[in-house]
Amino acid sequence: MSAQIPANDLLVVDRIETFIGQFHILENVSVRVPKGSITVLLGRNGAGKTTTLKSIIGLTPPREGKITFDGLEIQGKQAFNIANLGMGYVPENRAIFRALSVLENLKLAERKKGDFERKSDFIFELFPDLKRLYKLPGNHLSGGQQQMLAVARALVPDNKLLLIDEPSEGLAPILIQQMMEAIRQLSQTTTILLVEQNFIMASQLAERYTIIDDGKSVQEGLMEDLVEDTDLIHHYLGASIKTRKELEMEHESEK
Amino acid sequence: MNPKSKNILLGLLIAGLLVAVVVGVYTYAGQRAFISTLFSGLTLGSLFFMVAAGLTLIFGLMDVLNFAHGSMFMLGAYIGWQFYTNPTFIFGMAPFLLAFGAGVMLTPIIKPYLIAWKVSEKMQKALPKIAYVLALLALVFAFVGFDILSVADTAMVAATTTTIGNPLAEISAQEPLSSYWLRPLLMFVAGLLIAVASSRPGDKTQFAPRETIGKKLLMPAALLVLTVLSTLVRESASEALLLMNGNLRFVLSILLAVAFGFVFGAVIEITLIRPLYVRPTFILLMTLGLSYVIRELVQYLWDPLTYQMSRPPLFAQPGKATSIAEWLQKGSATIDIYGATVPTYRLFIIALGIVMFVVVLFVMTRTRLGMTIRAGVQDPQMVEAMGINVKAVFTLVFAMGVALAALGGIGAAPFLPVQPLMGDTYQTQGLITVVIGGMGSYVGAFVGAMILGMARAFGDYFALKLSLSPAIAEASTVIIMVIVLLTKPQGLFGKKE
Repeated sequence: MSAQIPANDLLVVDRIETFIGQFHILENVSVRVPKGSITVLLGRNGAGKTTTLKSIIGLTPPREGKITFDGLEIQGKQAFNIANLGMGYVPENRAIFRALSVLENLKLAERKKGDFERKSDFIFELFPDLKRLYKLPGNHLSGGQQQMLAVARALVPDNKLLLIDEPSEGLAPILIQQMMEAIRQLSQTTTILLVEQNFIMASQLAERYTIIDDGKSVQEGLMEDLVEDTDLIHHYLGASIKTRKELEMEHESEK
Repeated sequence: MNPKSKNILLGLLIAGLLVAVVVGVYTYAGQRAFISTLFSGLTLGSLFFMVAAGLTLIFGLMDVLNFAHGSMFMLGAYIGWQFYTNPTFIFGMAPFLLAFGAGVMLTPIIKPYLIAWKVSEKMQKALPKIAYVLALLALVFAFVGFDILSVADTAMVAATTTTIGNPLAEISAQEPLSSYWLRPLLMFVAGLLIAVASSRPGDKTQFAPRETIGKKLLMPAALLVLTVLSTLVRESASEALLLMNGNLRFVLSILLAVAFGFVFGAVIEITLIRPLYVRPTFILLMTLGLSYVIRELVQYLWDPLTYQMSRPPLFAQPGKATSIAEWLQKGSATIDIYGATVPTYRLFIIALGIVMFVVVLFVMTRTRLGMTIRAGVQDPQMVEAMGINVKAVFTLVFAMGVALAALGGIGAAPFLPVQPLMGDTYQTQGLITVVIGGMGSYVGAFVGAMILGMARAFGDYFALKLSLSPAIAEASTVIIMVIVLLTKPQGLFGKKE
């Protein structure tokens, strides 16, 4: 069942190596993202998940290896060229433009004139808060609202692939629910590559996973297989992470 | 006390102090002296702003402190003055530059084909070098036997002898077309060779889309047409221009200086600054060195002399107008404003400064380019990841900044002596302005420039009146900077990091 036809892959990252300054951050990372799926990158802090996303979009271009997006080799191309091929990027830490209003943040994301007008209903339906706040400057938004805006910004143009870096980071539980719902809705029209520390959220959203450990991709497969494999999870992601099964068992015993 | 009411209190205090100072100076100096000093303050402020605006735009987005900004101000003044006084030099040089530009502009069109070309690795390294050397040779041969200095001298001669009599007398005869046309051709070849070299033939790691070639052909084609036209009319155009209405000629000089500044800025950014973004300190040293190169070049072309550009007719007739209508009708040199005699050209400089402020403010707040710049100030990487070519925006902003400096230069040329060091004072004051207003803040640059202009004007007034050293006025701007930095280290409108 996990035998995939390569032609169905929207994005194939093939053994890339990335340096930042002199530091060899990614030593050997391969990721496959089938069309229409949500794939999640898992791994401890500092394993190289964010750098993998940045290497794909071209902000930290890989020195070795190959990245194929929609049948086109994109490694070494400039980030704006890659983005214009239909790739959206939501960075970690809510990197919205603080000096720009909500509306300007969204307008700037247009790739064609009228992108925003076309998508505004859809965006404001996903994130009703933003409609209320659209005149406010970005630095007046709360952390959760900034995160919503960061995701919304990537939805303005038509993207084939969204790279989303830690959408749940620092969000209140209720907002995490809202964010998950939004991402799930998005995945119906767009392929998504997610980086997510929150394992519960990741396991509920994603169909596929790739584990990155110390700059290398070490394991990939289907999420439904991973949640059963407690050893693997504990080995690569840390003992503190609890799988759904363990949580259920704890729940049972408490009863 | 909460910070909001503290701010209000502080604002009231400053406003009260300001009113007291204004009233005090007004009663002390009397109406006439106060108004004429006020207008010279506004004039200076306007000039400071024209330099500071470009500095702050460039610094805000690119973290580049352009130490050649004063030289670019000076260059704008020279180009405008040259064009206004005797355009022979400009028209003589135009075919060279246009042809070269047309060649270079072909880069995006030939690049996709050159990349696809199969070249061995050895040739990949050697080809650009060969092309660069050939381009250099073509450049040298284009200029061999062309007496650039005597063409440059035409305006010098025109400026130092009587121009009122017959301006056409100063036009020197030029090379016949039959031997001249080879020069632009060689320049075009040089440009084309540089285009070949910079596209690195055979290097497949580059990305160059082919589909939009039709649009990209427009620019070089237009330049080529202009080259041919300017080659044909290079002598008759000078004459026609000199016989033209002086005011119109002045407007054309302004446009030319701005266009020149824009192109010059773009070229400097692409060739000299872009390779150095990873080493900011080097950019600082490079711009400092560039300012000397520009100055020496100007001294070579026009000799280290001081010229006075004559004012356009609208500001030149002797006599004092009593109203703006009378000034516009007669073109008086001075105008009476509440008893004070103010040179009309000062009003023009003030108006130019204000128009520039409003236009650039509009661009910054209301257009997509402005949005991109404001976003890029914070996070250029994210702007790039959204599909915007940040490098191109950097080039555009640098070109705009230099164009603003050149605009200031030509605006100031009829008012200041035109000489190779004319930009230096304004650069220093411009830097102080930017520090006071807050690095990167555009509104801050305007307010800071006006504060400095006033300080200089009233400082000069009091130094003269109380027979103090005139150095006091010059020091006053630095003192203001120190006070601002001590109370608000990020500048008046700067953002806290």
